Amino acid sequence: MIELFHIWKQYQKPYWALSDVSIQIHDCDFYFITGPSGSGKTTLLKTIFRETLPTEGQILIKGVNILKIPDNRIYTLRRTMGIVFQDFRLMFHRTVFDNVAVPLQVIGVGRKEIRRRVFSTLQKVNLHQKMWELPSRLSYGEQQRVAIARAVVNNPKIILADEPTGNLDPELAFEIITLFKEINRQGATVIIGSHDRELIRHFGNNILFLQKGKIIGKEAHA
Amino acid sequence: MIEKLKFFLAVTGNNLWQFRTRNIFSVTIICLSFLTVGIFMSLSNNLRATARELSNNMTVAFYLDKSLSAAAVDAVRQEIGRPGFVESVKVVTPDEALERFRAGFPELADIVAGLKANPFPPSIELRVNARASASKEVVAFVDSMKTRPGVTDVLFNRDWVEKMQGFSRLAGAIGAFLGGILILTSFFIISNVVKLNVFSRKNEIEILRLVGATNLFIRIPFWLEGITLGFLGSLLSLGLLFIVINLFPVYLGASLGALQELLRFRYPDLTQAVILLCGGAATGFIGSATSVSKFLKV
Repeated sequence: MIELFHIWKQYQKPYWALSDVSIQIHDCDFYFITGPSGSGKTTLLKTIFRETLPTEGQILIKGVNILKIPDNRIYTLRRTMGIVFQDFRLMFHRTVFDNVAVPLQVIGVGRKEIRRRVFSTLQKVNLHQKMWELPSRLSYGEQQRVAIARAVVNNPKIILADEPTGNLDPELAFEIITLFKEINRQGATVIIGSHDRELIRHFGNNILFLQKGKIIGKEAHA
Repeated sequence: MIEKLKFFLAVTGNNLWQFRTRNIFSVTIICLSFLTVGIFMSLSNNLRATARELSNNMTVAFYLDKSLSAAAVDAVRQEIGRPGFVESVKVVTPDEALERFRAGFPELADIVAGLKANPFPPSIELRVNARASASKEVVAFVDSMKTRPGVTDVLFNRDWVEKMQGFSRLAGAIGAFLGGILILTSFFIISNVVKLNVFSRKNEIEILRLVGATNLFIRIPFWLEGITLGFLGSLLSLGLLFIVINLFPVYLGASLGALQELLRFRYPDLTQAVILLCGGAATGFIGSATSVSKFLKV
């Protein structure tokens, strides 16, 4: 379970990027954070993977206060998560295989095991035939699927996605969220920051609405 | 562990290739710096070796009064042969001295033939053993003999040995000074090249951080990069030094005349070569480590 208690975040006075945000996200939830640009979606996600520290508040993940993890141990938190961005953040001079293999290389997985897991993950996102291509030769939709493969190759229990469909046309966006839904069905908690109302209406059963850093509504459907 | 090492080597190789222009520039500067150190080291080696050769053959010639009797000459010979540092003692009679002169300067044969009397005094040649060549004991003994009745003059080649040793030290110091400045330059160049590489790979570093890489995991490829650049630079400098040493006598040797022997280069010995290589690698490592810790906020 991910629990945020009274999170406040200020980058510059007198503006608050987040104002008293408290939420609970249960294991295996498929969770949307939505709101207009500048509402605090990205900041909220960044606090969860500790890219940024809140000015006030507490964040517990499986009961552990992640704000108390020393800077040089943040990698232990990041290894339990998969993170996807709107701009994909791929290494464009390295192959699709290399990109997806990075999280496994970081933890020292053997070469054979890396090959097996990367291939099987790329099969899931239907990119196994383009394993040796450079990302620059793939379409935007395919590039985002590479980023998703990289996020899930390590079987993390939490997937965070910040505007993962922001650069994609509606059809591809639908395809990508379906992929996240599939990953969620396999047991991962998926949190997506998005302002795409159409997608949220179609897929969202847990939705958090933000505006100017404040929670203005929550929806939970079974 | 092996997998990680392979990963680091692959990333390092990839970076070296990807930014090859700036890396070649960096290797060239390191090479020139270490070549300067190498040239002075080699020159110093030669001067030191020449000084050693001279001190191994250190001789002292005691010129005696012409009027000394054979018994008196023998008494001086016995006195000179007494100290422990004496390797051998030889009495050179005026006739032998004249004969040596004839053999050494055949072009002056006419002058020698015109002499009415033998102008050479008897002398005693003392050879100092190698271990004692630079000792104060020898100097003190020679000084004491200068004032001994019957001894008119003393010729001691110690001054040359000292000059050679002085030149050797000077060459070493110039090499260390110039080399030090140039190595410092190399250090800053490596540091800046690695800094540029860090900036060029900011996106990749960001990705590594997000997937849970440790600080060490991110830093190691940059360290390896610096070490490789430094090592390659110093290795190349050893190769160039070899060429310089072999080409120097061919192109400049003859024009130096008598100085040729003194300015001859000797290739660095194995220890010196290893020191140069390790120095290159260390310069590279320190340069990159400084840069990485300063500019890679991980």
